[in-house]
Amino acid sequence: MPVPVRPLSEPPPLSRQLVARFAAVVGEANCISEPSQLVTYECDALPHLRARPGLVVLPKNRDEVVQVVQLAYAAGLPVVPRGSGTGLSGGAMPIQGCLLLGLSRMKRILEVDLDNQWMRVEPGVVNLDISKRLAPHGYYYAPDPSSAQICSIGGNVAENSGGAHCLKYGFTTHHVLGVELVLADGRVVELGGPVLDAPGYDLRGALVGSEGTLGVVTLVTIRICRMPETTRTLLATFASTADAGNAVSLIIAGGILPAAIEMMDKMAIDAVRSVMGIDWPEVSALLLMDVDGTEAEVEQTAAEASERCLSAGALEVRRPSSAQERDAMWRGRKSAFTAMGRLSPNYIVQDGVIPRSQIARVLTEVARIADSWGVRVANVFHAGDGNLHPLILYDASVPDEARRAEECSAQIVRLCVSSGGSITGEHGVGADKAAYMGEMFSESDLESMNWLRCSFDPETRFNPGKIFPTPRLCGDIPGKYAPHPAEAAGVIGRG
Amino acid sequence: MISYEPSSIEACAELLSECARDKRRLGFIGGGTALELGNPPGELDAVIRTRQLNHIVEYAPEDQVIVAEAGVTLSQLQSLARSNGQWLGVDAPHADRATLGGLVAVGGFGPRRARYGGIRDLLLGVALVRADGAVAKSGGKVVKNVAGFDLPKVVCGSLGSLGLIAHVTLRLHPLPKASATLTLGELTPSQVVDTVRGLRRAQLEPSSVVALRTGEGRFELGVRFEGFARGVERDAGRFADLAEAMGSSCKPLHEPEAEAFWLRQDAVRSQGQLRVRIAALPTQLAEVQDRLAPLLAGLRAASFAWYATLGIGFASGEPEAPGLIGQALEAARAGARRLGGSLVVEAAPAAVRASFDAWGPPPSAFFIMQGLKQRFDPDRRLNAGRFVGGL
Repeated sequence: MPVPVRPLSEPPPLSRQLVARFAAVVGEANCISEPSQLVTYECDALPHLRARPGLVVLPKNRDEVVQVVQLAYAAGLPVVPRGSGTGLSGGAMPIQGCLLLGLSRMKRILEVDLDNQWMRVEPGVVNLDISKRLAPHGYYYAPDPSSAQICSIGGNVAENSGGAHCLKYGFTTHHVLGVELVLADGRVVELGGPVLDAPGYDLRGALVGSEGTLGVVTLVTIRICRMPETTRTLLATFASTADAGNAVSLIIAGGILPAAIEMMDKMAIDAVRSVMGIDWPEVSALLLMDVDGTEAEVEQTAAEASERCLSAGALEVRRPSSAQERDAMWRGRKSAFTAMGRLSPNYIVQDGVIPRSQIARVLTEVARIADSWGVRVANVFHAGDGNLHPLILYDASVPDEARRAEECSAQIVRLCVSSGGSITGEHGVGADKAAYMGEMFSESDLESMNWLRCSFDPETRFNPGKIFPTPRLCGDIPGKYAPHPAEAAGVIGRG
Repeated sequence: MISYEPSSIEACAELLSECARDKRRLGFIGGGTALELGNPPGELDAVIRTRQLNHIVEYAPEDQVIVAEAGVTLSQLQSLARSNGQWLGVDAPHADRATLGGLVAVGGFGPRRARYGGIRDLLLGVALVRADGAVAKSGGKVVKNVAGFDLPKVVCGSLGSLGLIAHVTLRLHPLPKASATLTLGELTPSQVVDTVRGLRRAQLEPSSVVALRTGEGRFELGVRFEGFARGVERDAGRFADLAEAMGSSCKPLHEPEAEAFWLRQDAVRSQGQLRVRIAALPTQLAEVQDRLAPLLAGLRAASFAWYATLGIGFASGEPEAPGLIGQALEAARAGARRLGGSLVVEAAPAAVRASFDAWGPPPSAFFIMQGLKQRFDPDRRLNAGRFVGGL
C-alpha cells in the first residue's frame, strides 16, 4: 500500500523564460536544457531506470543553490539532487521533467581541524580526496564505499554509504557531525556541527541516509580519524563458502573485530583470476581481511584470526609480504564487479543484508533459487556484517532471461527479509527497491517515516517517488549492462 | 495520579490507544534516573512505567545483536551479554536502575563513548508506540541497514516526546579480555589537551579518557586501555613512557583503584542537586573551565569531569545559594555558546528549574522539530514541555 503523499502533477514543459532565470543564477554553461545533453543525466549508476530531467543546473555555491531551489519552488518543479551519479538504487535518477541539481562543482575543502578531528567540506568533494588531503598528517576519513575514487561526500550523506571497512568503523552516519541544508522554500538550516550533542532532535541523524528527499546539503562537517598504527591483511582460501562462513563466525566469536572481512565465491574468484589476471588459487571461497589497531594488539588479533580460519578448514592463509602485494589483493576484491561485467553481458546487483550467522544457510538457498530460475549468481560481499552482494548474471538477448533474472533477484531480497535482515545494506532504496519496502515495514512504520519526511519537506518537492513503495517508474526490465567508465577500467567497484 | 505498568508491546499499544481516546496527558518512566533532565513537564494525567517490560525479546550471540524490551536495565543486559563474552559498549551511570528505553530516550553514554560511541551509535532499531497507539518500527536487526529513514536516530535523545519506546535493538561488542587504567596527576588544562594529542600522535587507542578536576585549575587524567592482554599491557606501557617524556608522572592503577576512579567520574554525573552537561571542542578545556568557574565557585562539593577526546563535560555540586545560581548558569551557558557549544541542565533545585531553561535557546532548525512533534503528537500529550523549546 503506497503511503499517502501529495500527488505530483505532471510538471509543465519548461519555458525559455524559466530556463533563462535559472541560467541567470548559475550561468549559461551550467544550465543544461538541450535534450541531447540531458540524456547524460537520465540515470545514475543503475542504468535501467531512466527518466529525462527538464533541466540540469550546476550551482557553484550555497547562495546559488538557494536561488535555484527558490526558483524551482515558485515554478512547482520537483528537485532531484545529484552528486557524482554513482548510486546503485536510482536515488539520483530524475523525475520526468524535474530540476536536476548537480552538486559536483561544489568541491571546496573549507576547514580542517586535526586537533579536534573534524573538517568541513562542500558536498561535491570526492570521498577519496578527503583521505588524500589528510594522509600527509596521518589522518583519514573512514567510510570507504567501493566507488570512493569518484563518489561525492554529499552523495554519501544521502545514502548513508558504507564500505568494506565499516564493520569496525561504522557508516557515514557515524562520521557526519553536521550539515548545512537548504529546504524546499530556500530556507537554510544547520543541523549539528563540530561540537557534539547539540540540544534538540537529532535531525542530522535523520538526514543521513534520507536519499535526497529532505533538502539539499550544501556543507558537511565530518569526523576524521587518526590512521591506525598498523594494518595486517590476510587472505584465506576455503573449499566451500560454508567453511568460509564458519570462519567468519569463529573469528567474531573469538572477540576479534576486524576492520573488514570480505568474502568471494568460486564464480567471483574465477572471474577475477581470468579477467583481471590476479594470482589467486583456484578455490571455492576466499576471505579477505584487514585487522588493524596498535602493533601490540594486531600481532595477537591477526594471529588468532589466522588460526581460526585454519580451524574452520582454511586451505591456506596468505599474508602479503609487501604493500604492493596487499594492494593487489584488495584490487582483486574491488575489481570483482568489473570482472563479472566482462564475463556476463548483463547482471543485477543485490544489496540485501542477513544476520551474519546465517551466511552459510542463505548462500546455499541463494544457489538453489538461482538454479530454479536457470540463471547464475556470483557472490562478492561484506561478510563481517552480513551484507550480501549477489550478482545475478544473465543475457538480455536470450528471450525471457532478463525476466527470470529479475524474479530470481526479487526472491533473494525476500529471502534476506525473511532471514531477519534488510532489503539494502548500503546502496539505498531509491527507485529500485521502493517496491520492497512494504515487505520490511508495516503501513504505520511507513507512515511514521513519511511524517519525518513531511517535517522537512511538507510538499514533497525533493526526490518525490523515491523510497516509499510505488509502482516502478519505468523500465521494469533491465537494459544492457553499462558500466561507469571508471568501473570499466577496473578503478572502482560496486560493492 | 494514575500509573500504568504494561507488560508487553501489545499492552502498550492498547493503553496508548485508550489514552488517545480520552486525551490523557502522559509521562513515561523507565528507571527514573533522569527524571530531572529538561524542563519540568506540564500537567500529567497518568504515567506509564516500563518496569514490567523487562524481557529480552531476541538474542543471537553469534550475531552480536540483541532485541530487548525497554524496561530491561543496563546491568540486566550486561550480565546476559557478559555470560556470552559480549557487552554493550555503553557505560552510563546507574547501570542497576537505568533502563535501555530510558538510555535511548536521553541518548545515554559513558566514558567508553570514546571507543564505541554512545547508545545512538549502537542503536539498530526501535519499536515506538505512538501517541495514537500504533506501533511504528524502524531500523532493523542487522548491523548494516539503510532501508527507510533512520527514525531510531530521531527517537534517540527525544525524551519521550515522540512516543513510548517499547523495544530496542542494539549492537553488542566482544568483551575485552583485559583492561588497564593509568592516571596522570595535577595536570593543567593545556597539559590535558597535550596528553590527548600525544595519545593520538602515538596512535594509541584508549577506550576512555576522562579528566577529573582535583582543585583550582588542576586535573587528574584517567586513561583506560582495553583489548587482548598482551596488547593492553604494551599499549599501557607505551603510554606511561609517553607521559613521562611529557613530564607527567603516570600511575598504573590496580583493579580496585581503577574502579574507584571510574566510579568517581560516575559520581560527578549522578550526585549533587545541581548537575549540568557542557559541550565544546576537545581542545577548549581551558576556556570551558573559565566559563564554569563562577558556577563551580557557587557550589559546595563542586566537581567537574571532562571527556577529553569528546569535548563533553559534567559539572555538579550543592548550590550554596540557589537564588544566585541562575546568574552563574546563564554566564556559563553564554560562554559555552560562544565556543560553539551548549550547556544543558541535567538536574537542579525546583527554583532553578522554574526560572532557567534547561536546554537554552532552540536551534535554527527548531521549526522542523516542531513539525515533527506536531505530526507524532498533535495534541501535545506526551511528556509535553520537557524537551527543547517546550516540545
